[in-house]
Amino acid sequence: MPPELSVVLAAVALPFVAAVSTPVLYRLLGERTGYAGVAVALASFLLLASQRGTEGTVGLEWIPSLDVALRFYLDGWGLLFAMLACGIGTLIFLYSPAYMHGEPHLARFYTALLAFMGSIVGVALAADLIAIFLFWELTSLCSFVLIGHYTADDSSQYASRMAMFITVGGGLFLLVGLLLLSIVAGDVVGPDAAFNLAAMLETPEAMAEGLREQGLFLPVLALLAIGAGTKSAQVPLHFWLPNAMAAPTPVSAFLHSATMVKVGVYFIGRMRPILVGEEWLFLFATLGLTTMTVCAIMAVAATDIKELLAYSTASHLGLMVAGFGFTSIYGAETGVFHLLNHALFKAALFLVAGIVAHEAGTRNIDNLGGLRHDLPVTAIITVIVALSMAGIPPFNGFYSKELLFEAAVEASHHHDIGVLGVLYPAVAVFGSVFTVLYSLRFLSLFFGDRPDALGHVHRPSTTLVVAPGVLALLAAVVSVEPQLAVDVIVQSGLDATALEHHEMHVSLPTSYSPPVGMSAITIVLGLAAYPFYDRIHDGLNAALDAAPLIAANWWYDAIVGGLTGGGALVGDRIHNGLLRTYATWTLLGTCGLALAGFVAAGTVASSELIDFDAAPAVALVLLVAVVAGLAVALSDSHIAGVLTLSILGFMVAIFYILASAPDLALTQLVVETLVLLIFLLVIEEIPEYYEVSLGKYARDAVVSLAVGATAFITVLVTTDARPEGSTDIARVYAEQAVPEGGGTNIVNVTLVDFRGFDTMGELVVVAMAAISILTLIVMRSGGDDE
Amino acid sequence: MTAVILAAVVGALFALGTFLLLRRDLIRVVWGLAIISQAANVYLLAMGGLADASADSVPILAGHGEHVPQTADPLVQALVLTAIVIGFGMTAFALVLSYRVYEEHDTLDVSELGDRDR
Repeated sequence: MPPELSVVLAAVALPFVAAVSTPVLYRLLGERTGYAGVAVALASFLLLASQRGTEGTVGLEWIPSLDVALRFYLDGWGLLFAMLACGIGTLIFLYSPAYMHGEPHLARFYTALLAFMGSIVGVALAADLIAIFLFWELTSLCSFVLIGHYTADDSSQYASRMAMFITVGGGLFLLVGLLLLSIVAGDVVGPDAAFNLAAMLETPEAMAEGLREQGLFLPVLALLAIGAGTKSAQVPLHFWLPNAMAAPTPVSAFLHSATMVKVGVYFIGRMRPILVGEEWLFLFATLGLTTMTVCAIMAVAATDIKELLAYSTASHLGLMVAGFGFTSIYGAETGVFHLLNHALFKAALFLVAGIVAHEAGTRNIDNLGGLRHDLPVTAIITVIVALSMAGIPPFNGFYSKELLFEAAVEASHHHDIGVLGVLYPAVAVFGSVFTVLYSLRFLSLFFGDRPDALGHVHRPSTTLVVAPGVLALLAAVVSVEPQLAVDVIVQSGLDATALEHHEMHVSLPTSYSPPVGMSAITIVLGLAAYPFYDRIHDGLNAALDAAPLIAANWWYDAIVGGLTGGGALVGDRIHNGLLRTYATWTLLGTCGLALAGFVAAGTVASSELIDFDAAPAVALVLLVAVVAGLAVALSDSHIAGVLTLSILGFMVAIFYILASAPDLALTQLVVETLVLLIFLLVIEEIPEYYEVSLGKYARDAVVSLAVGATAFITVLVTTDARPEGSTDIARVYAEQAVPEGGGTNIVNVTLVDFRGFDTMGELVVVAMAAISILTLIVMRSGGDDE
Repeated sequence: MTAVILAAVVGALFALGTFLLLRRDLIRVVWGLAIISQAANVYLLAMGGLADASADSVPILAGHGEHVPQTADPLVQALVLTAIVIGFGMTAFALVLSYRVYEEHDTLDVSELGDRDR
């Protein structure tokens, strides 16, 4: 069944329309603007929900002759992601008014949130590669605005710049990858559909074959991986995500756990049918499992609850990437199912962290504890979602983690990957132990004794608790009845990312299998290690302090700082306010590029052209011109220079006559006379002999010789490349001068007829020069005196 | 073809123009610009091929008859003509600008005119 165009368009456009009208809404509603956002997000969600089960491309023709259209491609995977964004968005807008009470810049905040939601829906549903890229970068842009919400705070500005730099930079890699992809698609699915992702997904095998034939498979894979890896915070470019926690908590819950950071994962899933293979397995399984483990360890080392959750988010993103990396059906099941599960529990956890920070006034883990007395409802929510994050049965996180273990074990059955077949499951278990550890640590905020330092904890308002409550409820439903979630949405998402159709079944294991054993090891090790949490935490921090070089932040600061310093240094050298510096750099740069171009093109002057049988008259005239030029350069007074310059000009006029160009000669004579007059008029006003110490002759002579030599070579090389006889254009102009232009002077007809617009532009230039000159002269008498 | 001689002349004029462009006297800088644009014009014209001057090679037809002789390239001549006029506008403007600079600052030394706050 094809989707309905108007419904899809409305779902994508509604958030953008709302974003544009937010400033007006904010005047009317004040802080309650968030509730208007709830309505918008819910409306988009319901519109998308009505399209569940549809699949196909719908488009709005824009410029049919150029095949430019606004196309959307709906399938289970895109819908799952888009509905997730709108659904979580609804809860975030519900949560925000109470959380952001009394904060500044709320209109901007809601505008960015709404625009962001629209962009996510756009990324998920766009069928055009360029549209995907634009929406992709738009999410980064909104994220930049939202992370930098506290404009007066330096660390917030630093974090937003870092996120922008990494994610937008990664987006550029993605763009190159997409362009390469479109080159191949132009051959495989036809030039009309070169940018049409939906068409490519219909013939994934042909696309993969085309990519391999043209040798572009690995480049495209690598470029898309960089784009997705930066967006989804994969090691070693994960460090922007913990820093992005400078954003207000609703933003962290929405962008930096549930949606924006999943765009990379989403795109990996999208491209999976086309690019899957052995290289795919090595790249994404390794990348994902590394990220999962490294970030889980970093989360244990965290001291701030939001930092802990941020590293944990990166770790779970790694889990999803690894899932999609495994080529078996379990891999796709892991990726799709965990995308949903993680959004449910992690968004709830961030919202809980927001409640804790808001009501207790601190985010430091060591200062928090025993909160169950003050926040009983929040504590219940946290129990569900934290155990889900840990992957403890029967909570929903367990099912998708079980699938990852299954996929890791299966990997060696499908491919001959040697020792990696053992290493992948081992690393997955090792990383998951840390997941259990930090999940329990987060849960312990609500249990144990209240630290003395903790002051009075307020009761959160109802809307603050409702949002995470709904998420926890959904997580609980998926925990009890996972097959329900599979039937409703996960199965259709799986069909879009897997290679073959497979009925997905999820339930609690009833008999022993390797994944069950791995889960048991994970949980037992996690519980056993938990009493030593503080010792592990301190040990990790000591190790991190001892070796700053392994911290990705350090590299970022070094590179960005180096670029800034280097840029300032280069700027000072090149842009120092002296004309001669500019002229030197510009001329030498141009010469260097021109010569490099000749070398690269392998152009050399052919020897047959090197002859000396110039017409003696031409040679003589040009020689006099050069001598005159020399006299200009060496003249020690202005008058002598002007007069010799005139000689040069008149010699060039004679050269034009000898070169059969009488019109040029006439023009040149008139112009030279005028220039001479203007020079004389101006020179009259300034001292006859203007003393200037010449200095630095040697350096200038070297630069001049370099420029002269380049001009010499250029003339030799290019006159050689010229075709024999007159060119097509010249012949047409000569033949059509009389019939079309009605004149016998071909040059004149060309100027006023064939190229009339050029001549008009030229007249405009001369007129502008005349007006400027008049202004410059008259200004003085206008009393503008410094 | 007179490729080598032409190349030598264009190269020499470019070198002289550059040398003047690097001087500290603003008037000499303007001269440098003028010389470089002259050299560029010569080069551009030469790109059209230098035919031996004769009655036929001038791109003006003898009459409204059908016979169109092989003339010198009219296209480059049209280009150069435009370039000459634009060059004239530029030189005139640069000169008057120098004059104004002298009136305002009592100097034509570009190294003194540079960003003096530094």
